[in-house]
Amino acid sequence: MADANTTPYVGRAMKRIEDPRLITGAGTYTDDLRLSGMVHAAILRSPHAHARIKKIDTAAARAIPGVVAVLTGADVNASCGFVPCAASMPDLKAPKHTVLAGDRVYFVGHAVAVAIASDPYVARDAIDAIDVDYDPLPVVANAEDAVKSGSPLTHPDLGTNVAYTHNVSGGGNIDEAFRKADRIVKHRLYHQRLTPMPIEPRGVVASYHAGEGALTLWTSTQIPHLIRTLLPGMIGVPENKMRIVAPEVGGGFGAKLNVYAEEALISHLAMRLHTPVKWIESRRDNASATIHGRDQIGEYEVAVKNDGTILGLKSKTIADLGSYLQLLTPAVPTLTGLVLTGCYKIPAVKMEIVGVYTHKMATDAYRGAGRPEATYLIERLMDVIAQELKIDRLELRLKHFPAPGDFPFPTSCGLVYDSGNYAAALTKAKQLANWDQLLKDRAAARAAGKLSGIGVSTYVEICAMGPSKAMPAGGWEWGCVRMEISAKVTVITGVSPHGQGQETTFAQIVADRIGVPIEDVVVMHGDTAVAHYGRDTYGSRGTAVGGTAIVMCIDKILTKAKILAAHLFETTVDHVVFEKGTFTSPGVTNRVITWPELAGEFYVAKNLPADLEPGLEASSFFEPQNFTFPFGTHIAVVDVDRDTGQVTITKYVAVDDCGPQINPLIVEGQVQGGIAHSIGQVLFEQTIYDEDGQLVTGEFMDYAIPRAHDIPDYILGSTVTPSPVNPLGVKGVGEAGTIGATPAIANAVMDALEPLGITHMNLPLTPEKVWQAIKSKN
Amino acid sequence: MYPANFDYVRPSTVEEAVRLLAKHGDDAKLLAGGHSLIPAMKLRLARPKVVVDIGRIAHLSYIREAGGAIAIGAMTTHADVQASKTLRDKSPLLAETASHIGDVQVRNKGTIGGSLVHADPAADYPASILALDAEIDVVGPRGTRTIKAVDFFVDLLQTAVAADEIVTEIRVPATAKTVAYVKTEQKASGFALAGAAVVIGPNGVRVGITGVAAKAYRAAGVEKALAGQKLTPDLIARASAQASAGVDPLGDIHASPSFRAHLAQVNTRRALEQAVRRS
Amino acid sequence: MKLSMSSSVAADRARVFAALIDPEVLRRTIPGCETLAATGPDAYEATLKIGVAGLKGTYTGKAAIADQQPPERLTLSFEGKGGPGFVRGSAAIALTADGDATRVDCEADVHVGGLIAAIGSRLVEAAARKLADDFFRQLAGTLT
Repeated sequence: MADANTTPYVGRAMKRIEDPRLITGAGTYTDDLRLSGMVHAAILRSPHAHARIKKIDTAAARAIPGVVAVLTGADVNASCGFVPCAASMPDLKAPKHTVLAGDRVYFVGHAVAVAIASDPYVARDAIDAIDVDYDPLPVVANAEDAVKSGSPLTHPDLGTNVAYTHNVSGGGNIDEAFRKADRIVKHRLYHQRLTPMPIEPRGVVASYHAGEGALTLWTSTQIPHLIRTLLPGMIGVPENKMRIVAPEVGGGFGAKLNVYAEEALISHLAMRLHTPVKWIESRRDNASATIHGRDQIGEYEVAVKNDGTILGLKSKTIADLGSYLQLLTPAVPTLTGLVLTGCYKIPAVKMEIVGVYTHKMATDAYRGAGRPEATYLIERLMDVIAQELKIDRLELRLKHFPAPGDFPFPTSCGLVYDSGNYAAALTKAKQLANWDQLLKDRAAARAAGKLSGIGVSTYVEICAMGPSKAMPAGGWEWGCVRMEISAKVTVITGVSPHGQGQETTFAQIVADRIGVPIEDVVVMHGDTAVAHYGRDTYGSRGTAVGGTAIVMCIDKILTKAKILAAHLFETTVDHVVFEKGTFTSPGVTNRVITWPELAGEFYVAKNLPADLEPGLEASSFFEPQNFTFPFGTHIAVVDVDRDTGQVTITKYVAVDDCGPQINPLIVEGQVQGGIAHSIGQVLFEQTIYDEDGQLVTGEFMDYAIPRAHDIPDYILGSTVTPSPVNPLGVKGVGEAGTIGATPAIANAVMDALEPLGITHMNLPLTPEKVWQAIKSKN
Repeated sequence: MYPANFDYVRPSTVEEAVRLLAKHGDDAKLLAGGHSLIPAMKLRLARPKVVVDIGRIAHLSYIREAGGAIAIGAMTTHADVQASKTLRDKSPLLAETASHIGDVQVRNKGTIGGSLVHADPAADYPASILALDAEIDVVGPRGTRTIKAVDFFVDLLQTAVAADEIVTEIRVPATAKTVAYVKTEQKASGFALAGAAVVIGPNGVRVGITGVAAKAYRAAGVEKALAGQKLTPDLIARASAQASAGVDPLGDIHASPSFRAHLAQVNTRRALEQAVRRS
Repeated sequence: MKLSMSSSVAADRARVFAALIDPEVLRRTIPGCETLAATGPDAYEATLKIGVAGLKGTYTGKAAIADQQPPERLTLSFEGKGGPGFVRGSAAIALTADGDATRVDCEADVHVGGLIAAIGSRLVEAAARKLADDFFRQLAGTLT
């Protein structure tokens, strides 16, 4: 208690409260659930990218002992509605997305039939025994091919592969900007498709109480509340008879920010079979039937003056949506358009985004969703401009930064950046990296015939999603804080952390503000029976939006507590002083009231003022007025092996400004994880479909995610620029690492190759690709 | 990831295991460390009817000196090979090679015998086994026989070990410190895109290459070019260019045939340079 | 996946050609062929247990022979499916006299799907080559 009263928890690099149970194997994940009478589902998936289903013969599968049922789209689709897309766009052409395939399959991994059996082995035997007669149809597996005339159609009934065309223009007159330019810098960039690969794949357990007509669904998701909003319309169970639980979730990265077919299907099966049903995704199913990320290709043109002044930016992007729209599929590329100008004053922009269907799994929000794409392209462009104009790349960036006094800073893309000091982050990163020495080392390495490169990215991103008017289903957040009769504090949040550490950071905030030991605070989340309302966890919103709702609850509780304290002191509220968990009234009485006493009075309720309700609990909805805009500078130093094309990161410096840090250890962890994602993306990760639409990176044998020995020692720093958008001043940090790091590493590799005259390569920069590029210049 | 049905038997002696293999024929598959077989079974690429677990047979995990050679029990894990002081002191190439295999979990479970018999074309050990000119003992219904390393790897995933035989021991000669294994890993799997193992001995140089072709091979052209010569950087560079001569390199999404062939040459050169530096 | 393979069979073109369209010869020479039955002129149904080492799958499928120009060339088209996925494609087979022997050139265009595509082309392509080699070896054995 004394410690809690002398040192604030907020700002301390505390180890996470949730970690001991996770690292000792004591967490409960979806697959750990064992319900009485539970049966197991396995899903048969299409091996074809596009085919007509001529016949499905389930007789042999049904005859296997232990098989409960084998069902196809004809059996279940009418009862499961359509998989929802929450992003509404004008003129969006959208296919109907049933939970199992109808008479056609549209991608490898498309669910065709489901078998339910007494155990998962028998369920797998059953799907092996289903005989499907496919008639293969023409495949389009490449988005640029898909927009050419004569291309096979992903959905022939839509008549086109173009789902939508989205135009963004803002700021000044773009045509004039290009007329006035001394030079037009052009570049083409590809943001390859990525597979999120959370270590825990998806999984669902559904249990239906027929007597009550009530459904409980445990699902490995980031968004239990959004599922509770959207699932009733699919399966016909009313919202208030539906409980969604997100148990421990072993990684989301956006892949679990979705309503998936299996969530409706397995719920329906539990209702239909009157017994609990479990379905756990295999790694292979995860690779083929859980959303992918990125997959945008763009042509960019920048109008510049010879002194480097950027007058305008034009872009044309083709976004590969895959074959179906998942929850936010069409919206993700438009996020790229929102931060296209990065952290620069660019007076005019024009962007065209074409969303295209192909016979592949849907793309959707994956770590950073749209912002990594924007940051990669603007940061690559800044280097290309600097190189073409022979201007120092840092000078070029500094020249276009808004000054601290320019905030709130309205951009040409239509956003208002909340606060920032971009030059300060850049300066700090240069200091931490020992910039001048880096330049000398690079010169020495080059003189010795080595390929050495330095890459910089200065980024800004959109976090704390978001104002409800800008979000498909509300962007507010809900919270509840209750002091129990024992003076323990229960915090309930509507965000659904799955690695972000809010069980710790919210406890830190609450313990400080209420003045109790952190051990007395429990943070609950991820169960709609406990956290009735919420908009869940994505878009780096947990602490900035969810944390603010908690702060509002604390304020309400303290206000109410002071009323009772005043009553007990026999004085008025303005004579009550609350500090570090104790109530006093100097000058009125020497009596000191602590929480245990006050909590007891609230619940025993024998001595309350007439107009004061018993109990000490408050709930709040927080509606943010703007997004927040974290920013920073990342610097990567690489060596490229001339003979093997292997890239080695020899130094990595990141300075991130996410506002005041509740827990620097967690901030550091988030940044580290994000940079690791980028190392994968820049150097080896890619989801590959062949020309037949076959997914050839369907296992960890072929899909390369970074491992410990791929990660360099990071030098991490920060600057602190509070956001005016919320009372904590926090901005969010869940995606910053991967947004800042991708261009820094890519720029470093390109810088290393620059002396050879290599100006462009598509990600990932694999050894063979780098070697081929080097060879082509020999 | 659920395998098809199978029966499980766990013999306690090599003789019993051999009898079980004879009895079940093609239906049986030996389970050693399980790091090739179990994933294949989970994918249902392998569907043995009977799994014969040799993990509890006593005295198949050891590393000891035997005459001028070092004998390694077939069930010795990669981690034990990596950590073996005997190997590090007397014949360090295998220990170095083992350190490149998979990750800690794989090294703690996977066994040298299992890896060799699986004969993945990109496994690490085969390059070193060839470069060391090792001997492999197998036991079967016809008794015990010894297979020379050059005869061991027959084709893709195929060795000279018959279906009814069990590898019991691998023997490698004592060597000087002038050995090296240099590998470019496939980033996803950790297997070798190309790995070169080199032993420089008093009677010449032996070079084993893995990852490049359907099976690991001795780089005869390199060995010949170096035979009886002083190993100058120039000669090493020229000889290494022969590292993929006469083989038909594999290609896949991770590396084209020409890149694999190129890496074989680069890694051979680097392994030779490293081995020379260790003298 | 495109595969080009060549092999030499110690028999004249006419015999090699006759063997390539003889279901009984094919049943004995195709690696892992368990059943092969004619379902019409130049059309067959077959069950194959194929793979390498312990990694084997059972496939059922159809094959048809077209564009026959005895004894020079023929085209084989095939499609099969099994637990590990599907295989379909065609192979253009050309026979060239080479002294007393016959050179068999095979240009195959093979499409695989499902698990066998997902686990990467490294083993699949190598395995396909090996199976083709085995076939030609068996064929040569049958004819000598």
